[in-house]
Amino acid sequence: MTFKTMAAIGLLAGALCNSAYARPVSYPGGWTSMISNNGSNNAVHIHYSPTANYSLGVRSQYNRDKEFWFNGVQVNNLIKRWNEPDSQANFYLKSGAGVTRSDYGDYDGKTAGTFFTGIALDWEDRRFFTSYENTYFDAGDIDDHYAQSARVGVAPYIGDYGDLHTWMMVLLDHEPEAEHPVTVTPLVRMFKDVHLVEAGLSNRGEVTLNWVIRY
Amino acid sequence: MKKLTLLTLSLVTLSAPAMAASSAMINVNGLVCDFCARALEKVFGKQEAVSDIDVNLDTKIITVNFKDGQNLSDDALTALITDSGYNVEGISRDE
Repeated sequence: MTFKTMAAIGLLAGALCNSAYARPVSYPGGWTSMISNNGSNNAVHIHYSPTANYSLGVRSQYNRDKEFWFNGVQVNNLIKRWNEPDSQANFYLKSGAGVTRSDYGDYDGKTAGTFFTGIALDWEDRRFFTSYENTYFDAGDIDDHYAQSARVGVAPYIGDYGDLHTWMMVLLDHEPEAEHPVTVTPLVRMFKDVHLVEAGLSNRGEVTLNWVIRY
Repeated sequence: MKKLTLLTLSLVTLSAPAMAASSAMINVNGLVCDFCARALEKVFGKQEAVSDIDVNLDTKIITVNFKDGQNLSDDALTALITDSGYNVEGISRDE
């Protein structure tokens, strides 16, 4: 296992971790499209929720820095939800499988069967938000990797139903084996109707721009 | 006398509820996110008996307005909410 391979897999695993910026299960019969762009990756994830307990989806993701493609399927399970009068918390299991292909340097043309799994936890009320998730990523004979991330957020005002809602958030990514293990990204989340948009700038000057549509 | 009778009938007609379109107020636990609560509009929008819904995130109450002469039972409403991932605390009716 080389450092370059480790770093590449770390970036991909981190991207998989980063891209789950909204709840991965929708309402029964609901479709969700997630488009994410950050300093290294462009990704599209589309999933369908047969019930409110799980979703099935596909993901296509490109890492610009390392010229990686990942294409695969993903299953998200809502293991437990806590509904309280003024708050909600969730516990998810997220797993997927697919193929990773590299077009970078010595790895040009190399492909590997890939699977990943991880948990995600979140809690929110109308003023505060916090979440944590991790991902274990295995690219077969190439390597495996672990990444985790956490968020905290606060709503500067409490909007009514149908208003434009705004959250100020800080995203902390930790990829122990990556070249830069810790990334901090302050971001703004806004949503209205079925659209959710996030925009942020990391401590390394990388732009994050995410868009989620539920339909 | 005939004019008085017609006037009385007209007033009674105007003051009567228009075919009694009813509604149900559902107190829901976990209703904290506008983006997530949008799902309930989709779920109830598929119900033939439902005209529209209103969500109040302050009170955590969903008001389901039914079409004229139509309705859904408390069990049916509870199932729709529960299947959407929320919990029902109570249901009241405005007939």
